[in-house]
Amino acid sequence: MSLNTFSLAVAGLVLAPLLGGLAAGADRVVTARLQSRLGPPLMQPFYDVGKLWSKVTLPASHWQGLFVRWALAASLASDVLLAAGDDVLMCFFVQAASASFVALGAFCGSSPYSKLGAQRELFQLLAYEPVFLVAVVCLAKASGGFDALSIMAAQGPLLFKLPLVVPGLVFVVLVKLRKSPFDIAASHHMHQEVVRGVYTDYAGRDFALLEIAHWADVAVVLWICSFLWATGPLQMLATGLVFLFAAVIIDNISARLTWRTMLGRVAPLTLILATANLVWLYLE
Amino acid sequence: MIDACIGLLVLWPVAAGLACLGLRSQAGRCALVMGTAAVLAAAAVGLATQAPLTASPAFLASATALHVAQAAAFLFPAYFLFKGVQERHGLVIVFALAQLALAAVGEFGLAAPAAVKTAVAAVAAVVCDGLSLALVLVVSLVGTLISVFALPYMKRHEEHLRLATSRQPQFFMVLLCFLGFMNGLALTNDLHVFAAFYEATTLCSFLLIGHDQTNEAKKSGLRALWMNSMGGVFLHAGILLIQKQHGLADIQAIVDPALWTGVSLLPLALLAVAGCVKAAQLPFQAWLLGAMVAPTPVSALLHSSTMVKVGVFLCLRLAPVFEGTATGRILILAGAMTFLGASALALGQSNAKKILAYSTAANLGLIIACAGLGTPTAIAAGVVLLVIHAVTKGLLFLCVGDMEQTIGSRDLEDLRAVMAETPVTALAAVAGSLAMILPPLGMLAGKWAVLEAASASSVPVVAIAVGMMAVGSALAVVCWVRFSGTLMGGVAIGTQGGSKVGAQPAHTSSLTTNLTIGQTTGLTIGLTTGLTTGPILTLLAGAVGLGLAAPWLNALLLGQGNPLAGGWGLLPPLFIVAMLAWIIGLKVLGRQSKARLAQPYLGGLPQAQPGSYVGPLGRNWTLVEGNEYATEFFGEAKLTRLAGIVALALLLALVGGALA
Repeated sequence: MSLNTFSLAVAGLVLAPLLGGLAAGADRVVTARLQSRLGPPLMQPFYDVGKLWSKVTLPASHWQGLFVRWALAASLASDVLLAAGDDVLMCFFVQAASASFVALGAFCGSSPYSKLGAQRELFQLLAYEPVFLVAVVCLAKASGGFDALSIMAAQGPLLFKLPLVVPGLVFVVLVKLRKSPFDIAASHHMHQEVVRGVYTDYAGRDFALLEIAHWADVAVVLWICSFLWATGPLQMLATGLVFLFAAVIIDNISARLTWRTMLGRVAPLTLILATANLVWLYLE
Repeated sequence: MIDACIGLLVLWPVAAGLACLGLRSQAGRCALVMGTAAVLAAAAVGLATQAPLTASPAFLASATALHVAQAAAFLFPAYFLFKGVQERHGLVIVFALAQLALAAVGEFGLAAPAAVKTAVAAVAAVVCDGLSLALVLVVSLVGTLISVFALPYMKRHEEHLRLATSRQPQFFMVLLCFLGFMNGLALTNDLHVFAAFYEATTLCSFLLIGHDQTNEAKKSGLRALWMNSMGGVFLHAGILLIQKQHGLADIQAIVDPALWTGVSLLPLALLAVAGCVKAAQLPFQAWLLGAMVAPTPVSALLHSSTMVKVGVFLCLRLAPVFEGTATGRILILAGAMTFLGASALALGQSNAKKILAYSTAANLGLIIACAGLGTPTAIAAGVVLLVIHAVTKGLLFLCVGDMEQTIGSRDLEDLRAVMAETPVTALAAVAGSLAMILPPLGMLAGKWAVLEAASASSVPVVAIAVGMMAVGSALAVVCWVRFSGTLMGGVAIGTQGGSKVGAQPAHTSSLTTNLTIGQTTGLTIGLTTGLTTGPILTLLAGAVGLGLAAPWLNALLLGQGNPLAGGWGLLPPLFIVAMLAWIIGLKVLGRQSKARLAQPYLGGLPQAQPGSYVGPLGRNWTLVEGNEYATEFFGEAKLTRLAGIVALALLLALVGGALA
């Protein structure tokens, strides 16, 4: 490992969660403006985490702290893998491991809402993972390599080779950002039927760490989306922002779907589109 | 030295099995089985130090061995025919007769035996390369551990059944012979000897599945018998065609792609179908599912280290020929279809053993897809998957069997929160199920390598297979996370923080020091516990250790100097991350296990007593939890039919495509 890769990895470790946090803040500002509210400041998510950190942790199960740390480690590891320009498919699997740990922690909890959220989290995983995986293979096939560096070094924007992957990636971003209509496992508003779903039983410092893991996840997902137009850092940032704002707008104009609709209709449709695109790349 | 190792690997278990038949005492049997375990392990390791090698040990290279194999081609079907007539089972009779006819054609009709260059005349009777060695190690280490586990298990099993005379001697005879036959099958280089061992494993599985002699066991045994003798028909037909086309019986000579340029691949397609039957690929999964009526050690043995591994071994053996051929492409699709279909079927199940069974079929499908790809990287990934799957699945079966004996049910809903009852076994099961799906462990690494190998191909059909593997992979993740989450749901709804305190320290200490606990219980509580937890913990260590060693296994198989070539170099840094997360996680677990637990959140409803809430009508409502099995998507009846039809069509295309 060269010094350059090492510094990139460290930068990814520090910057990616921060960027994810900023994305969460921007999301809240934009949502407030869309709803004609003033909304919180951009840095509000960081203040929230700071406040959570100061609370006494009252775990619902002895196992939750362990799974939170494992989820955080996996999320940060997936950021580092991308930042160091390594294999995107492995990064995808590491990121999926993080989601599994969050669900496992919720399974160990004591509240029925937490367990319900865990079941739903798994169905979400089932819905978005295949299309995300196929999208990653498409990116690799179109650019000629699985490592992030060669995807970013591809000639011209990959978007024009991968138009059918876009609906799938939007779906993935909506699920991973826990946005309506796919905020099925954990709603943002506690008065809804799952309360906080998979997050219900996490508290205090554990929950703060989980929030940071979530930021890291958001950074990974948007980063992989930004490979669609990876002709330069600014273009990548712009592509990521386009996906983020698309998600925010869809969140504000749609109501929650059931997991049956997600699994029975949306997931197969996006998967078929993405696979069709993959077949077409093989034909080239 | 080599001859001695091979002799011990093949002949010792058979001899020990026969000796078991004469031993009525439990202690003698324990000594014999454990001695066999030690001998096989030592011989397998001894062989591993010499591999890759070719040899001609007298007992396999002699003309006598070939005569025995030729006789076996008649004797096994004759026995199957006898059983079929005795039980009045039409399909068994039909396939036994077909096998007899094929054997007769091979012996007297088609080719004069002199024209067939058998292994005796060829270079070596035994060829031990990476693939054979992998199977031998799996059989000799995992298989024998399962046999050791069977000692206390079968004792309890028979106490439970209240048998007048113990049937354990027969059971252990078949069990041990099975291991010897598997080793012979892995090592032989002659198609006829291979076919004889193939039939021998069919016979052993029939006897073991039907061991309990209940109606259900008999039915399952006969189902396994007719399906696998159908596989045998395909195998013999394929071998006859190879004799006719090439006059060869030397496996190493047959898997040379140069031999098959411009020639129909039909014989190999038939052999691949025979492999798919043994590997319980859709639509032949029924025999493997039926096998779970047998005592747990049998299902563990069939699923992890023996029977089904014959099928994938055969396909992987032929794989070099499949690279880039139409037959290979259809085999990729068939494997991916089973991976997808069986994973979906597993997700809809609440029966823990059925989950394991479908998951076995699914993982073998992935290995078969590797064989269809046929590139060196894909084959290496397939062998890595074969080894690690054997260890992990063996572990999971033993855990489920042990939990089943403890709580008396194999339903996942009944196993909820079993962590409090059997912490060591439950934690081992959780670790095993996470080892099936989590990076950087071997199963995931193998899956990842297959996906990358598949995307290196340039055939559009493979893109469909990649899509199917993507769905199958997500299904497997969900299935195993739910499985381990259900076992771990340690604190039942509404339990007060203090009430579980007694159970909790056991969890923590068992995580940190489970090996020492396993040893001390083995010594203090007695041999029985030790023989149960010993194999479980050894397999656990094996599953994790091999899972971590996957890059090196892969490099050994590929013959590369640098084990971390390609993307495999990512895994060691991920190990370090995982180790750090493990240490930090355990520290936090230690700290939190002393913490006071929160009251369960029930949306603000008052709680009269644990596990209930005061709701409408002022009544006390009890909370019940259960998993969502989504049967409208993953219902067994519908999905079995649908996936079975597609898979059957693919297998027909496999044979039909090679005909054209």
